[in-house]
Amino acid sequence: MSCNFKSGGMKALLAVGGLLCLLASSAAAQTSSGQLTITMSVQSSITLIFQNNPSVGTTGFCPLTNAGTNNVGLDFGTAAFPGSFHTLACVNYQHLNAAVYQVSSAFDVVVSKSNSSSPNYRLAAQISTPPPANVSWLLNNVTLTTAGFTTLDTADNYAVPITKTLQVQVKNSVAAQPLLETITFLATAN
Amino acid sequence: MLKKYISIMRGAALAALMLLCGASLPAQTTASGVINGSLNNTTGISIQFDSDPAGVTLGAAGTNAATANFGTVSAFGPLAAGVTRPSVTAANFTVRTIFDVQVIQGGLNSTTYTLTANLAAAAPTGMSYKVDAITLTTALQTIQVNGAYGTDIAHNLDLVILTAAPGAGGPAVNTPITTTINFTATAN
Repeated sequence: MSCNFKSGGMKALLAVGGLLCLLASSAAAQTSSGQLTITMSVQSSITLIFQNNPSVGTTGFCPLTNAGTNNVGLDFGTAAFPGSFHTLACVNYQHLNAAVYQVSSAFDVVVSKSNSSSPNYRLAAQISTPPPANVSWLLNNVTLTTAGFTTLDTADNYAVPITKTLQVQVKNSVAAQPLLETITFLATAN
Repeated sequence: MLKKYISIMRGAALAALMLLCGASLPAQTTASGVINGSLNNTTGISIQFDSDPAGVTLGAAGTNAATANFGTVSAFGPLAAGVTRPSVTAANFTVRTIFDVQVIQGGLNSTTYTLTANLAAAAPTGMSYKVDAITLTTALQTIQVNGAYGTDIAHNLDLVILTAAPGAGGPAVNTPITTTINFTATAN
């Protein structure tokens, strides 16, 4: 009798165990897996932007349009030799001699690097079109030409504003006309 | 009397023959059989990666083993089609593409799935990977808890790259970097 009971209990236990196994297998979460493989290559790069100098608005520091980018505008307003005439208070106006006047304004250049071990950079600039006779465009007293990039600095530090002053020198014999120039700056990692 | 008997018997035999013929003529030769069809319809779930119109074109799109090539990336230079650069800071920059995940299920009493992901190996130096802004590690991270079946669901894949120079914490440059992300969809 006892033996029969044990046998019956064992069967019941096995049956319950099997049922639990079935339930467990049916309740297991269904999953599916996949793989996305990414490939890329990092390249060193530098960037150049123009910023307003902290002294913007005072004499010699006119505001840039589109400041904070690499394509900005700098308007000197209207000027003339007689009477040191100039329309913008932010422009620094000077008579260089008895026949030439100069307007100038300063701004900042910031060059940043990424993924580069370059310690510093060279800065150069050139003008896009030859100016009229007796008109000169300069940066920090360095005359710019269309012949090629003129070196301004040889070892500027990255991420540090470098103040540059753009000057336009005009002889009093130059006919009244708009003077427009595009100045291209080139930063090269050392 | 005998003749009459014989005549009656002939008539009866003829009638019987006609009955037999009449019964057998319309019958056709036939054969029959049955097919015992069976199907064990089981449950299933599958995952595949699809190209998103706004992202890079995946290699082996439509499979569960796809590739995404970001091409050459940099903080300031041009990027490949389908790759954007949502942020650049002094410390790092992020390049992004978008890819789609589609999960299909059959036979399950499930209306949504949970998507998890992990890096197959530790991230290369100077790199970290995000899916939908969740930074991936080699441990499973939950990306989505209620994904709908049978439709492409777009996910952002961000590569956050330190701007430091190689050897100073930044990634290797001008060297292909390959990373595999494992994705798992689990039926809810």
